[in-house]
Amino acid sequence: MSAVDHLTCQEFVEVLTDYLECALDADERAEIERHIVICRGCTNYVEQTRATIELLGRVGAEDDVDGDGLLATFREWRAGRP
Amino acid sequence: MQPVAIPSGRRPDNEDELVAALRRGDEAAFVELVERYGAMLLRLARTFVRDQAVAEEVVQETWLAVLNGIERFEGRSSLKTWIFQILSNRAKTRAIRERRSAPFSTLGGDGADEAAVDADRFRDESHRWAGHWAAAPADWTQLPEERLLGQETLARVNEAIQTLPPRQAEVLALRDVEGWEPAEVCAALGISDGNQRILLHRARAKVRAALEHYLSEGAAA
Repeated sequence: MSAVDHLTCQEFVEVLTDYLECALDADERAEIERHIVICRGCTNYVEQTRATIELLGRVGAEDDVDGDGLLATFREWRAGRP
Repeated sequence: MQPVAIPSGRRPDNEDELVAALRRGDEAAFVELVERYGAMLLRLARTFVRDQAVAEEVVQETWLAVLNGIERFEGRSSLKTWIFQILSNRAKTRAIRERRSAPFSTLGGDGADEAAVDADRFRDESHRWAGHWAAAPADWTQLPEERLLGQETLARVNEAIQTLPPRQAEVLALRDVEGWEPAEVCAALGISDGNQRILLHRARAKVRAALEHYLSEGAAA
């Protein structure tokens, strides 16, 4: 990150994942945090990204596993073993 | 998940014990394995293969391959990673065989050169504030919770995952849907940490953009 001293919003959105993943050094982190404080648009972008991650964590939480079908597969496999 | 008939045996809890019990043909061990990883495999299969019926077949094939391969499992990776790799290979085979336009039929797509946000959302070089928002993102915290977190929104998230390049879809599904640690994802996919972060970055950005598009519908009304 070369232009870290004068971070633009366009640069901010590209380093956000590195920031969230704690892959930035202390100076870079500080620059990101200074930018968030003064930029409403990027604050919203961070919030949107957090909401996106939250939604991804809720995807398919209620999938039904066919336990009976799998048990039948298991018994067939066991019966067919040498 | 559907309740599985409770077998009489004691359920093994650590991985070595589980593997050993499975090799003996212990039904309780299999039930334990399905409870641990059954829902994960189903979700991942649906990420990798669009067709529901095909996804379920892939899961079925995966379980049979796990049973047939358990004798050869050496414990060099975790059981979870090993099972995931079987699923991933099955899904890829199916996708290629069926010449699908869905994930896995297109190669590449690490997306190192893609922008997280379209360039036209920012002020251009001629502007004093070049690189700053021209069309700033909206404040989603103002949205009603049922709109932001509702079933329709979740359906859009699913659709967005389906349109991602395969590598991005895999990383996103493992990290953000399944909650794997970065190191686990790197090991399972054989990629570097930096590559993993790039794929995650592009994937999250695309899902966010799809959600932004959906959530802005009717906002002006």
